[in-house]
Amino acid sequence: MNKFIFQTKINFKRIVLRNKAFFFFDMLLPIVFYILYTKILVSNVPASYLKVWNEDYLVSMMIYACMLGGIITTANTLLEDEMSNFKLFVTLSPLSNFQYYGSMAIVLITLNLVSSIALTAIAMIVNHVSISIRLLFELISINLLGTILLILIGVLISFARKPNTVNLLTNLVVFPLAILSGLWWPINIMPTWLQNIGKVMPTYQLSVIDKNILHQTTQHIGPFINLLIWSFIIFLILFIVNKIQKEKGLVTQ
Amino acid sequence: MTILEIQHINKSFGKKIILKDINLQIESSSIIALVGANGAGKTTLINIILNLIPQTSGQIKFLTNDNWKQITGVMMQDNIVLHRITVKEIISLTRSYFDKPLSYEELLNISGLKDHQNNLMTGLSGGQKRRLAFALALAGNPEILFLDEPTVGMDSNARNDFWQEIDRLKKSGKTIFVTSHYLEELENIADRFLILQNSTIAFDGTIKQLRSREGQSLIEFDSELNQIDFENLSNIISINLVGHHFQIITNDVNQLVTELTPYLKAIDNLQVKQSTLDTLLLNYEENNHE
Repeated sequence: MNKFIFQTKINFKRIVLRNKAFFFFDMLLPIVFYILYTKILVSNVPASYLKVWNEDYLVSMMIYACMLGGIITTANTLLEDEMSNFKLFVTLSPLSNFQYYGSMAIVLITLNLVSSIALTAIAMIVNHVSISIRLLFELISINLLGTILLILIGVLISFARKPNTVNLLTNLVVFPLAILSGLWWPINIMPTWLQNIGKVMPTYQLSVIDKNILHQTTQHIGPFINLLIWSFIIFLILFIVNKIQKEKGLVTQ
Repeated sequence: MTILEIQHINKSFGKKIILKDINLQIESSSIIALVGANGAGKTTLINIILNLIPQTSGQIKFLTNDNWKQITGVMMQDNIVLHRITVKEIISLTRSYFDKPLSYEELLNISGLKDHQNNLMTGLSGGQKRRLAFALALAGNPEILFLDEPTVGMDSNARNDFWQEIDRLKKSGKTIFVTSHYLEELENIADRFLILQNSTIAFDGTIKQLRSREGQSLIEFDSELNQIDFENLSNIISINLVGHHFQIITNDVNQLVTELTPYLKAIDNLQVKQSTLDTLLLNYEENNHE
């Protein structure tokens, strides 16, 4: 247990506290987007619609922050560990893979928790969004569960093992996924065929669950099943890729 | 006492055979040098022992502890350079992995980085990173230490200190399994040499045994005599004469020196030079090439 706590402590220092890129990408970027799309680039919108938009966009940016932390930070941190030989070092040490990935997941989930709280605080201050503690707790809890799926995607991308490929893949996954899921602008302004693709995406389904929580409307089982299916698919791909790479002597996981 | 048993290890990548029926017993308190040409399979064998890649068949058994990671220390060829982490933090983190680690102060002394303990790892020089890697390999107070090209990047003083430390570790009961391209360093320190060639352990023994099997020695002297005077002596491989300076390569130095005795009055500056491990290895590979 001692080694797990120590590993988590060190991960906090290197991934969060001493990492300026984290503050910029995982914290500031969603906040800047939120202010931009709810305060600066919005005009002539009826007050009743604006209230819903401000709340929905808070959900969107919370999920976007989870994507940045879960996919980009995870992939880059794992890549950094690979390049710096730390992954090999850990593999040869008595620390188990479960402890290594587990401690990293704890850090990234906490990171997303902080991002979500910061975003909510900004939404309350800037747009006077009203959200009860109970609803906020429910929102953050469901987002953190969704983060696990996003972390799995980040781990999968890190298997590319080359900085250029990992950067390319994170950009190819995160930004299209954000746009298709309607996180940056409403999904209904896109062509129908694109909307159909977007609605299958896990991040869209996560936003549906979040919006139902926020507006206290009835939850349906569909979005939850969608997230479970995506988790299963990503986990299966991870398992297969890891097995193939290990056979080839390429990975140390 | 046997600490590690390697039984019938085979490894193939597709149709290419990398290792063929490797069998070894590694005894405690010894230094074992694994040598061979590039691509001979040294790294593959170490990676299999350390469970980094699976073997095609065969078994690896660490005999003194079920949890082999608690009793092994590894210093790989490439340094670990964790970003945004200090020397103090990486030593403390590594200690936390083990049940019975060496003390922080002891590891700091081994690393020689007492004045740099609050520095980031990324700011260390190549030699400092290497010494830190060595200290981290010793963090768990291992019974068996694997060193892959340990002195790469070290200056000559640091190398001397390093091998002295290795000798001290051996005397304290540790087993050291080492590969290095600096064969002259291994020659002075290793108790046992394993030559990996054609996918198998082609030689397993001491440097003395290797010399007696493959050894060629060089005898040099000055003489006014002619080359023809020495050509009938036994065990001569070649004679080279430059001016009055003779260079004779022999595979039985004792016999040749005995036969040179009648000529001693006509010989000056007699010198006998033993083959280095480099030469022995080269000879071995040439003589045993498939």
